[in-house]
Order: sequence, then C-alpha cells, then structure tokens
Amino acid sequence: MVSKRFLVKRVLLLVPVLFGVATLVFAILQLAPGDPARVIVGQRASAEQVAQVRTELGLNDPIWIQYLRFLGDAAGFDFGQSYKISQGTPVREVLVDRLPVTLELAIFGQIAGILLGIPLGVISAVKQDSLTDHLTRVGALTGISVPIFWSGPLLILLFSTYLGILPTSGRIGSTIFLDEHWTLFGTQLPLTGMVTVDTILLGNVEAFVSAVRHLFLPIVVLGVYQMALLSRMMRSSMLEVVRQDYIRTARAKGQGAKITIMKHGFQNALIPVVTVIGIQFGTLLGGAVLTETIFGIGGIGTMLVNAIGASDYPLVQGTVLTFALLFTLVNFGVDITYSYLDPRIDQ
Amino acid sequence: MPPSPPRSTSVPSGGHETRPPSLAARARLVVGALLAGLGVGVVGVGVGTVAVGLASAADTGFLLGTLAFGFGLLGWAGSVVAGPGFEAMQSYLDGASGWTEAGSRRAMARIGGFGAGVMLAAVAVGTALGYG
Repeated sequence: MVSKRFLVKRVLLLVPVLFGVATLVFAILQLAPGDPARVIVGQRASAEQVAQVRTELGLNDPIWIQYLRFLGDAAGFDFGQSYKISQGTPVREVLVDRLPVTLELAIFGQIAGILLGIPLGVISAVKQDSLTDHLTRVGALTGISVPIFWSGPLLILLFSTYLGILPTSGRIGSTIFLDEHWTLFGTQLPLTGMVTVDTILLGNVEAFVSAVRHLFLPIVVLGVYQMALLSRMMRSSMLEVVRQDYIRTARAKGQGAKITIMKHGFQNALIPVVTVIGIQFGTLLGGAVLTETIFGIGGIGTMLVNAIGASDYPLVQGTVLTFALLFTLVNFGVDITYSYLDPRIDQ
Repeated sequence: MPPSPPRSTSVPSGGHETRPPSLAARARLVVGALLAGLGVGVVGVGVGTVAVGLASAADTGFLLGTLAFGFGLLGWAGSVVAGPGFEAMQSYLDGASGWTEAGSRRAMARIGGFGAGVMLAAVAVGTALGYG
C-alpha cells in the first residue's frame, strides 16, 4: 500500500515542475523577437493602434509585474485568448478541443509499445543468445535508431501508395460524418474527443473501423520506438534479475523455470522499466507533434508549431504548460506503480 | 532465527551511495549562488542602464535571470521526479555517463539560485532608479 506521506510528497513536486515550466516559457517568449501587440493588430496598423493594444494588454508595465500577472493567471489555468491561430477564442477552449487528438495518439502509442515491448524483452532474456534473442535485439536497435520523419513517410509509401490498404492522412473516413444525429444517452458527440473511443461508445462499427484504419500507421510509428526501447530495457533488467540468489534458490528448491521467472523475476525486472515508461511519455508527446504533421492529424502538436510561427504567445504558453502537466501526472502515476512494485521506495 | 538485515531505503540505480548533505550545506549552496546572481545582476543592469536605458536594461536583466531561474527550478524538480528513471535507463542500456540525480540537483540548485539573484537585482535596481 502506498503511504499518504509519499503521495503528498509526489503531489507537492508537481508545483516546482509547473512553476519552472511557466517561468521558462514566459522568459523565452518575452526574449523572442516580435511584438504581441503588432501580431494582434496586424502589420498595417498605425503606431497609435499598436500603442493602445500594448496599454490594454499591460505590455508597458515592468516585466516583473507582467511575470507575476502571468503566474497568477496560469495558476487558475487562464491563458487568455489566442492572438492569431484561433483568434479571440480562449486558450482553454482551444486546448479542450485539440488535446484529445494528441492524447489518443500518445496513449495508444504507449499501450502498443508496452504490450509488445515487455513480452519481447522477457522472451529475449529467457532465450538468451538464441536466434529469437538476436532477432529481437536487432529489431530493437533498428526501432530505436529509425527517426519518425523517415519511418512515417516510408510507411505511407508502402501501405497507402503501393499496397493501398490504409489511408494516408486524417482521423476518420470523409464519408463518415459525426453530425448532430450521433448522440449517446442524449449527449451529443464528441464525448471524449478521441475518435476511437467515441465510435465505440456509439456502437458504430463502420466508424470505429475507419478510425482504427486511420490511426494504425501513426500508432505504429510512435509505438515502434517505445517497443524497441522497452524490450531492450526489459531484456537487460530480466537478465540481471535471473542471476540473483533468490532466483537460484527458487530453482534449487525444485521450482520450474517458467514459474520462477514469472513469479519471482518479472515483477522485480519491471521496476526500472516502469520508471522509463513515465519518462518516455514526454518523448511520445514530442513525437506526436511530428507524427501529426506527417499524417495530417490536426492535434495540439500541429497547432503548437503553427502558434510558435505566428507568435501566438498565449496559445504557446497554454500548450506547453498543459504538456508539462500531463507529463508530471503520468510520472505521478508511474511513481505510485513503482512504489507498489517496490515498497521500499516510499519509506 | 538470525535478525534480518536493515532494509535499504535507497533505490538501486547504479549511482554512488553518499550521505545526503545537511540542511545548512544546502542553504549555503543556494544562498551563495543567490548572492553571486545579485552581484552580477546589479553590475549588469547598472552597466546596461548607461548603455541602453533603464527600462530596457531592467527588463532584459530580469528576463535573463528568469531564464536561469526557470531552467534551474525545472531541472531540479525534473531531476527529483525523473532522476531514478534516467539513472536506470542509462544503466540498463549500457550508456552510463556518470550522471547522477544528486549531482544534477546540486547543479540545478546553483543555477536556479543564481537566476533568482539576477531577478532580484533587476527589480531592486529598476525600482531604486524609478522604473515602474
């Protein structure tokens, strides 16, 4: 059981992480060239108009006043309105609209990586130096080394252009419309914003299959790297664990190899792998930015790239802080799992 | 039955097990960096005021300090949150570089303290000279 003290300690750690990210994002955007007031009023606006907007936004105040104001607003998750990309729309609304798209990619990528990587790592370790082990290791090394910007277009070329069995881009078939008739218990869709989950909730098989077909390649691109890294780590960790005295003792007492490995070895070998899964979620979010661009999926990653290009500061600040919040929450979950696997951690 | 050995509370992560520094030592580390940042900030904003004007110098000085402070704070918290994972990953992927969570925390505390010093100096000099 996880102790309350451990939980409180980990929750309190979220504060400096988010405070640090907010501070860093604020400083970087302020130091970047470009005037937010000019972005809002446009290049053809007069100097008086620009000056008026600067006064309205408080941009003439000393920077420390602006910093404190920004921190106060950010603490209430208020990032103001988008300057350019979704002009006039509150950043919070834009994030609620776009975030599920990226989350869907990252979560399914992570699940695919875990479900394939961990068993592969175990098999590779159990069958050390066999053909299976060599193939898995070569596969893992390849998976870690191949960049998304190369594997993405290559998969599109193979599965969409040459074989024609999967779509090249988008989230769902263009002939399938999720309009006002798509309701569940009186609630209009989208419910979660994740197209696969929403179509399951609707019980619409055709839409679900279409969503899965569209998501398949992006998830493969994201999942392969996760799978490769996790299988390699799981193999190393498992090999270290099976050399321990308690495994030898269990074997000496007559317990079968498979039971010994799964009962005594697996849980302990999982500890370092679980910590890496949390760190890798950040990589997945970063990878989703590139994957969304390659596969034409309008998620938060694509929007962030556009917002940076358009100097849409509130949107950039809100998006980066949301990414940081997600990353820390996932690591919080990992810490709890970690302390379940090894109770010494929370002592 | 022989007494069981005491359980170690440290995470087996491949790093060196050392005694944690005392609170006074930690405070010295941060306060030392803070004072250094204050000194650099006062001189920097002062020189900047003569060169580019008070508002510009104070704003830029504060932002540069904020950059260091934010980086240090994020690095420190990130080391605590994800440090054991990084150490484990390095160890299990045979890529050990000697990076440790404790070392990273100390370095980040210094950077953060220095940045906070520069921020305070910019506010102090700016306010004293009538900005804002």
